[in-house]
Amino acid sequence: MSQYQASKMTQQKLHFIVIDDSKLDCFIAEKIIRNTGVSESIKSFVDAREALEHIKNHPATDAANKTILIVDIQMPVMNGFEFVEAFEELPEEIQKGYIIYVLSSSINESDLTRVRNYKSVKHFLNKPLTSNTLSTLVEWI
Amino acid sequence: MSKQERIKILYVDDEINNLHGFKASFRLDYNVFIANNTAEATDILNNHPDIRVIFCDQRMPDKTGVEFFGEIRGQHPHPVRMLLTGYTDIESVIDAINMGHIFRYIKKPWTDADIRSAVDEGNKFYLANSMLAIKNEELQKAYNELDKFAYSVTHDMRGPLLSILGAVDVAQNIDDIGEIKEMLGLMELSVKKLDNFIQNIHDYYNLKRGDLQITDIDFSKVVNDQEDIYKITAKMNNIDFKTEVQQNESFRCDEMSMKVILNNLLSNAFKYQKKNNGDKFVHLNVTIDKGLAHIQVKDNGIGIHENHIGEIFNMFFRATSEEVGSGFGLYNVKDALLKLNGEIKVDSVVDGGTTFNVTIPSK
Repeated sequence: MSQYQASKMTQQKLHFIVIDDSKLDCFIAEKIIRNTGVSESIKSFVDAREALEHIKNHPATDAANKTILIVDIQMPVMNGFEFVEAFEELPEEIQKGYIIYVLSSSINESDLTRVRNYKSVKHFLNKPLTSNTLSTLVEWI
Repeated sequence: MSKQERIKILYVDDEINNLHGFKASFRLDYNVFIANNTAEATDILNNHPDIRVIFCDQRMPDKTGVEFFGEIRGQHPHPVRMLLTGYTDIESVIDAINMGHIFRYIKKPWTDADIRSAVDEGNKFYLANSMLAIKNEELQKAYNELDKFAYSVTHDMRGPLLSILGAVDVAQNIDDIGEIKEMLGLMELSVKKLDNFIQNIHDYYNLKRGDLQITDIDFSKVVNDQEDIYKITAKMNNIDFKTEVQQNESFRCDEMSMKVILNNLLSNAFKYQKKNNGDKFVHLNVTIDKGLAHIQVKDNGIGIHENHIGEIFNMFFRATSEEVGSGFGLYNVKDALLKLNGEIKVDSVVDGGTTFNVTIPSK
């Protein structure tokens, strides 16, 4: 474990939720997150509706330890946009326990613009997720 | 021509005698409507929007023919407008032609031959315009589909590739063979997904652009081919796969379209099974009766939620995150059926299963 990771660990442990209809992408994300050593817990959902239910039923217990949501855009049944819109309808105290990152293979300009317009979305990330991206993302928090 | 098929034409003139003379001359050839003033003419047009040619006298007490045509053009752009007039009005006629209000003018007094030739020309123009409108609509539809297509192609082709790329990156730092094997399994799925998508594009393109090749269809052979494709899947996943064919008459159809339909319906039936069901089945039944092929594909899988039934035939629509659907299959099925004048019906119960019933007429 690197010095950097060790110092992070002493500060705080983060919770992660990955939402992606591709099982492989969920798997990759889990691996990368686990390797950074900053995760307290990792959950993944292939169905965004189930993720939303989970979030509704598990409000964050302490506001200091936020949960990082990594959400894909194009998914069947409930896509990333619909998920973010539904998330923004949730009570404020639930919302503030989470930080949303959108992760997608989309190179479509209108998708990117749309992502930027959601107040709850912190940033847009390109697939594939790499350990470099994730470390940067953790540093920002 | 039967009475219903006769071209509808309208003649507007303030002189009753002209109207009756006109109707007497042409009532056998055309479906003639007459109007004594422009208000009456507008009523007739509103009730018969399929009138193809309008003749109107230029000099009428309430308004001129040119004014009348200028007025109705907005609401009734399709009927071809012809002005009847004497030489004295030639200035206003030229203006009207140049402004696009009228198609041509006919000099008064007209002869039957003048009118017949005008109706012929007008009708040709009307048909050409209508065809153009239909073609434009088709073109617009094709453009919209292309947009959707281009958008989804980037996702559906890049998605699996980027997944594999990500997996390769992660795998380089893993030493555990078990974990690597697990990842290889997932990578294989991604490759299959991409391959499936490309095959679907191929079907899509063939259906869109290819001409139908009508041949005699031997359904026991066609179904046999499908059995060969799905035998292994059925065995591996413990799915009871039964097929039944009853064909006592010849049936003519495009074999490629037929395969697309069967293959996609079966592939879905196998794909969307309930994982823990101990009694999984897929039944295919084909019956040819009085020139109609009835195809039934029935499964007891996860079913389709009623909210999604209306959308399953839309391009790139996916009703579930289960399995590796491309959202292309049923779109291709519907497209093939459209070409074959066939029909498809869906009955589905969530957690109970789905039955597709397809009917196709012999060509």
